[in-house]
Amino acid sequence: MPIYDQGYRPYEARAPLHQIRFWPITREALRMILSKRAFLGLLAVSLLPFIVRAIQVYIVARFPDAGRVLPVDGRLFGDFLNQQIGFTILLSIFGASGLIANDLRTGAILVYLSRPLTRRDYVLGKLCVPMALNLAVTLVPALALYGVALALAPDQFFQWELAWIGPAIVVHAFVISLFVSLLSLAVSALSRSARVAGLGFFGLVFGLEMIRLVVQHGFNRSEAMLISFQADLKSLGVALFGLADTELAMHWAAPAAVLLLVSLACLAILRSRVRAVEIVT
Amino acid sequence: MAEDQAPLVEFQDLSVSYGLVQALAGISGQFPAGATGLLGPNGAGKTTLLKTLLGFLDPDRGRMTAFGLDPTREPLEVRRRLGYMPEQDCHLPGMSASSFVAFAGELSGLPRSEAISRAHEVLYYVGLGEARYRNVETYSTGMKQRAKLAQALVHDPDLLLLDEPTNGLDPKGREEMLALIQDVASRRQMSLILCSHLLRDVERVCENVIVLNQGQVARSGSIRELTGPRRQVYDVRFKGDAGAVLTDLKDLGGDWREGEDGVRLFLPDGKGPETIFRLAKECGVQVRHLRPGAETLEDVFLAALGHEIQD
Repeated sequence: MPIYDQGYRPYEARAPLHQIRFWPITREALRMILSKRAFLGLLAVSLLPFIVRAIQVYIVARFPDAGRVLPVDGRLFGDFLNQQIGFTILLSIFGASGLIANDLRTGAILVYLSRPLTRRDYVLGKLCVPMALNLAVTLVPALALYGVALALAPDQFFQWELAWIGPAIVVHAFVISLFVSLLSLAVSALSRSARVAGLGFFGLVFGLEMIRLVVQHGFNRSEAMLISFQADLKSLGVALFGLADTELAMHWAAPAAVLLLVSLACLAILRSRVRAVEIVT
Repeated sequence: MAEDQAPLVEFQDLSVSYGLVQALAGISGQFPAGATGLLGPNGAGKTTLLKTLLGFLDPDRGRMTAFGLDPTREPLEVRRRLGYMPEQDCHLPGMSASSFVAFAGELSGLPRSEAISRAHEVLYYVGLGEARYRNVETYSTGMKQRAKLAQALVHDPDLLLLDEPTNGLDPKGREEMLALIQDVASRRQMSLILCSHLLRDVERVCENVIVLNQGQVARSGSIRELTGPRRQVYDVRFKGDAGAVLTDLKDLGGDWREGEDGVRLFLPDGKGPETIFRLAKECGVQVRHLRPGAETLEDVFLAALGHEIQD
């Protein structure tokens, strides 16, 4: 008896389609990324600043005089989130560069799009992967840090005037995570190689930051900060948390507009590249 | 197989273009239940027709329905009832065949536990049972083709779309793949569209055929009817210059083409083998071999493509 005679049974119980159709895409991609030890190591390193900040809160709570050297107030969370931007970029380079590029290289995009999934489901499923990773190193530790601060220094933080910290953490963490995720996914969609996409993303983000530093310091032009995505994100943190950073002294609306425009461009790239049929005219 | 059943797919006046290039030019036809071959040379519009059916391409004009649904308006409902085996390589990097097929099942709407259990069954069915835990990237071409078939079958589709399923296979692999497809079509009673430019693949598996050429339907119908005894066919070997005989035959309304061994003559209605002997005698040529033949799908295909005349 040929091996293919070993059985095939019809499937009768066809249920209605799920509302959250993108979830298997996110779950499988996260499972594969998190199965790499090196990536888990990077994730662990990304959480080290949280431990350092928690120790800072503990020291100030235990020895109030230390607050003169290590001030602990609402700005602490803004500083922390701005610091985490670098980690979100690294995590996206190693975790998100291949998400679409590999599917384009291996033809897997047809496996997805020939199923009862829309292109939006596909992009959403992929986008949730870097989002989850980035939120894991921004929102989660920042809220945990806030919890630590409330627990260790309730006199200092349990005040109505500081109630804005929680929403500000959520907003800033989401903006950072969403923007970095969208950008990494768009760069991934522009290539068929995860390595090229990763290098491209690295070059784009850190290259623009280098140019900003040269222009801003060399020519003393503060508008140069607009060309760096990192500086744009940080300046939103400066505005949200009232940080004192003279280098990023610009009204928040300009960097916000830049980030919005780049995000729209990323969506346009994803719309044009995520297709089952490549149309060459 | 099921001539009394409603067709699974119908298309009327369907036009599809890629920018300025028109791939399908106002074609009409249907895919009945059972196995249907979609034949045509490269660039004829076969894959375009499948991709329109999958809802990947919007028609410029005309309409298409699958299971009574419009793939443009209800692509998800149509796609969940289709199984698609693409022509090109497709796998998910870093995944074993069992994970890959189970994942494909889940994407088609199967619950996770059911998708996993069906993935194992289907992989056994296609002959990858022993290799199902291996990474698909390490598979040979034949095994990758089987994995592609498994991911198309896992959710038990109502209609299976096979785009060049024997591409890149050696003769043994091709034979096994065709046996598998034949089994799917006959014993499992699954309807399928076999898109190929290999006539023998289609002839072996399918009951019906649609021949596309330059974006037009050149011929369609059941293979039995198309290759039935409509014309008298003879395989003949001549001794001497047979050019004059062939010219005279064409003048009589017949036709011919080069055969594997000699020439294949298509006689006009009402004419028998005596016509061949008479023409040969008139032209001073000897008939060294004459055997009645049956019109094959290749004859139908070549006739549809307008390649009957071979000078």
